[in-house]
Amino acid sequence: MDNTRPAAIIAALALKDVGFCADVGVGGGAPAAMVGTAAAAIMSGQARHVLVYRSLNGRSQGRLGAAIAPRTEAGGLGSYDEFFTPYGLLTAPQSFALIAQRHRSLYGTTDAQFGATAILCRNNANRTPHAQMFGKPLDMDQYLASRMISTPLRLFDCCLETDGAAAVVVTSSERARDLRQPPALVRATAQAGASGMSGGMMFPSITWTEPTEVAASNVARQLWSRAGLGPREIDVAQIYDCFTITILLQLEAYGFCAAGEAGPMVESGAVSATGRMPINTDGGNMSGGYIHGLNHIVEGVRQIRGTASVQKADAQTCLVTSGPVGMSSALVLARAA
Amino acid sequence: MSERLHPAEWDRDTGPFFAAAREGRLVYRRCNACGRGNHVPMASCRYCGSTETEWRESEGTGTLYSWTTVMHGVHPAWPVPYTVVIVALDDAPDVRLTGSLPGAPELNAGQAMQVWFESIGEGRVLPNWRPAEAKQERGQS
Repeated sequence: MDNTRPAAIIAALALKDVGFCADVGVGGGAPAAMVGTAAAAIMSGQARHVLVYRSLNGRSQGRLGAAIAPRTEAGGLGSYDEFFTPYGLLTAPQSFALIAQRHRSLYGTTDAQFGATAILCRNNANRTPHAQMFGKPLDMDQYLASRMISTPLRLFDCCLETDGAAAVVVTSSERARDLRQPPALVRATAQAGASGMSGGMMFPSITWTEPTEVAASNVARQLWSRAGLGPREIDVAQIYDCFTITILLQLEAYGFCAAGEAGPMVESGAVSATGRMPINTDGGNMSGGYIHGLNHIVEGVRQIRGTASVQKADAQTCLVTSGPVGMSSALVLARAA
Repeated sequence: MSERLHPAEWDRDTGPFFAAAREGRLVYRRCNACGRGNHVPMASCRYCGSTETEWRESEGTGTLYSWTTVMHGVHPAWPVPYTVVIVALDDAPDVRLTGSLPGAPELNAGQAMQVWFESIGEGRVLPNWRPAEAKQERGQS
């Protein structure tokens, strides 16, 4: 799923004796599972240190918001696009708009709640110098006046398209102990699919489950069990946000609030920078940059080290999630005891 | 105007859906072991794993599950606005099919929908959906 294949990274860094290489899919659902795969490789003795990276020319090269099929025939061979693109369902914003509309129908989620979600991310980006939207404020009037992309999603409900890269180095806790930077311990990782999922990339997700039972809810059950922690023990979180709706879905799926209550939760300020559990502290995909959510893992490490621009005081634990709909994944980072 | 995307009709798992549409029939894949409808269709049932699945003819009515009115155009065959609808079949509520309506109609979750068969050229036919009580708004099949 990466623009840059492992061989190119090996050559660019002039690495010698690389003995482990893995491609963990799919897309934005993968980054936390990539860290999980790296940890498994280290624990099984296949590798000592693993570079986990994502590099995308998401703006100048393959625009992720563009229509998927430039040809005239759609589908076949397990893509299942034949049931969607001939009807004009062509892009990721349109696909997630269907999920957002379903959430509205079930729970009455409002424009202002979607707006508050976008503005929360932008406010954090405005305090983060490396964020793509640093220095570009966004208020509710601007949000509501922004052009509709695919109802109910407006321009500012959609994440950025970014040329960029992000990486973390995963190593053993023994080796990490005397490194120059304080380590962020991988407390647990988990990967799961949605109940009733099928083949295909993105469009079929509307045929699987209700928005309350996306893959993230299966990831959450596994993750909390492995971590020995629950949502109440999380100090700060980086929630995968290709669209505002995915933040709302995951606040519910990970148990930070009940189904349908994510909109009011965001409006209450509980997940803003000064709230009980700040989220997307560098602006996330919405306003920081879109590196398939590997940037969320990097920001999670900063929180545990205490070096983030929008720092949660004394952060001991950080939840990081990856794309919540298809095969999804998440991890919990923790400060070393 | 460029050509509208047409569905691959040669896929073994999905082709019968479009072959039936050419005959004016709406079919869905049903599991005879657990009784649930499966969409998108596969050879085995995604819920219980059984391979005792078959194509079943639908009555062609459903309810509106979700929709989106596309305002930002990305394809010359699809001038905006237009509205993509997702419809749950009455005779198999697990089966949610796609349709499209011109413009930005007023829609409500759960409203009754009716299938119609839309010719898209060269003999190809798509099962499409419109509100049950509304008059037909574009080309007859």
